[in-house]
Amino acid sequence: MELNTASAAVSFSQQLEDDSIKFYETAMQRYPEGNDILSSFISDNRKNKALIHRSYYGVISDALEGCFAFEDIDTDDFSIDTILADDVSFAEALNTAIAMEEKIMNYYSVAAEASRSLMADVPRAFEKIAKKRHERIHTLRSLLARS
Amino acid sequence: MTILEEPIKEPVFLRNYVGGEWVESDGAIHEIINPATQKVIAKAPSATVDEVRTAVLGAKQAFPDWRSTPPLARARYLFALRELMEERFEELSRIQTMEHGKTIDESRGETRRGIENVEVATGIPSLMMGYNLEDIASGIDEYVIRQPLGVFGIIAPFNFPFMVPLWFAPYAVATGNCIIIKPSPRDPISQVKIAELVEEAGFPPGVWNVVHGGEEVASVLLEHSDIVGIAFVGSTRIGRDVIYRKCGETGKRAIVQGAAKNFLVVMPDAVVDSTVAALMTSFYGNTGQRCLSGANLVVVGEDRFYHEFLDRVVEATSRIRIGYGLDESVQVGPMQSVDGKERVLRYIEHGMTEGARLRLDGRKPDIIGDYPDTCFLNPTIFEDVTPDMVIGAEEIFGPVMSVMRAKDLDGAIDIIHNNSYGNAASIFTQNGKWAREFQYRVETGNIGINVGIVAPMAFFPFSGMKDSFFGVVHGQGLEAIRFFTESKVVIERWF
Repeated sequence: MELNTASAAVSFSQQLEDDSIKFYETAMQRYPEGNDILSSFISDNRKNKALIHRSYYGVISDALEGCFAFEDIDTDDFSIDTILADDVSFAEALNTAIAMEEKIMNYYSVAAEASRSLMADVPRAFEKIAKKRHERIHTLRSLLARS
Repeated sequence: MTILEEPIKEPVFLRNYVGGEWVESDGAIHEIINPATQKVIAKAPSATVDEVRTAVLGAKQAFPDWRSTPPLARARYLFALRELMEERFEELSRIQTMEHGKTIDESRGETRRGIENVEVATGIPSLMMGYNLEDIASGIDEYVIRQPLGVFGIIAPFNFPFMVPLWFAPYAVATGNCIIIKPSPRDPISQVKIAELVEEAGFPPGVWNVVHGGEEVASVLLEHSDIVGIAFVGSTRIGRDVIYRKCGETGKRAIVQGAAKNFLVVMPDAVVDSTVAALMTSFYGNTGQRCLSGANLVVVGEDRFYHEFLDRVVEATSRIRIGYGLDESVQVGPMQSVDGKERVLRYIEHGMTEGARLRLDGRKPDIIGDYPDTCFLNPTIFEDVTPDMVIGAEEIFGPVMSVMRAKDLDGAIDIIHNNSYGNAASIFTQNGKWAREFQYRVETGNIGINVGIVAPMAFFPFSGMKDSFFGVVHGQGLEAIRFFTESKVVIERWF
């Protein structure tokens, strides 16, 4: 589905955050060794949701290009795999998480870039989350190296 | 494709809110129709003359207590109202989409701007302060105090059913006045919802009233000797020839905002991508039904720039998704009414008859989803429009772009000045000298520099000139405080 409006972009972002929360909740049940880090990811996801909500609802104005700010973004390019098969190892789960986070990071980067000159605080929030996702990928890679 | 849930499931029966009570009207009932689905979502009355007079009387009786309520206490009612609006933000926004047709992004933007006005008005203890000077003569001091005046009428248009009354109402009550709001009979639900929150916030009875109806209700407010002023937003014909004139005859204060024909000037050095996106919002946002909408696009420059730029505009326009505003992928909703759509269709016919070139024909709507096409239109683009054509001169109030060309900035400004309206104009350029020249010379109340919709924030006045505005001070911010108060001068000496 092509994303075009701010409302659709915000909803898609919230969905990404929710889906990755579910992924980490499942991972936490399976791999207690990663609990501290995974639970911090879940907490961050919730903060991200709040940040996006606050940014959008705080500045949305019909004078801004809210209905035209996110053209040429296809959600299919950023669909994430959140299913953890029963028999995967912790290392394999971390690899899945890294792939998921890369897609999410890319989405936020593309969405921020697309809307930078048209919206106000929303692209800034997306940029901030993309940066946090980049750091998260490093954390996951370090964890993978140690596992 | 996500379609958001409708907050109104069954038709609601609207009542007048008078003296702190929800009152059934004896007047005729009409249906409020969701322009996208064509379903009846509400039934609203037209208040009788006696009902309007009762509302004015109740407001007049509430005035002495309200005006003597300390400004800080009055502000606290507004803080409570603001909190309730935030809590119901999404419901209020979706109702606007249901009764008006605008997209959910646009409705949320409208809700936000409405709340901003409440927020600004909460600063009333500071905003309403007067000023003084000691020793204007030896031992004599002079000072100014701002006092409320009584009962004001607010006559609202259909295009921003939630926000426009809030350009005035929070300032009116914050300064100690009482108000009678007459929402547009086409989409009055939002004002009922606000009144419900006013009641919940605990405003004293009679301070904030809502009466439904059309011209007859407006006439009673205009004629009534206890109404001290009117804030009106609507057509120039009604605003200038009826409201402003009548207010003059009856000695009422008036803020009258009328129609518009806004010009967007694109210079050859404009940043094309961002400019095109801004034009989409400006010309087609709110389905072109706003007094700040772009109407005439004036492209300055040589043939090559013109053709390349316009191709981009046409391409972007042809990709716009039309449909129900609660569908998050929809970028432009339906016209608010069948009448509005027919009016636009007549202008399109007019443009073709006058010899303008129909570059993009929006008359046969391509709708996302299964909705009746009753109120839908796709955007239309005319080229070769001249300022003297009807479509180049009159307000169409729909998603129609009339494209003109000018040799240079002077030529573009001349075109703007030949139009009788003066609401807004924008320039798209990277050249500061051109931009400065534009804002200095152009005779419109609101100027955009690389901004397509020049919607003033709540703490700035919503300006306007020529046939777009009649009055002295404007709605919103400090000018609204001036409108709703009298400056009383006191000169003081003690023997």
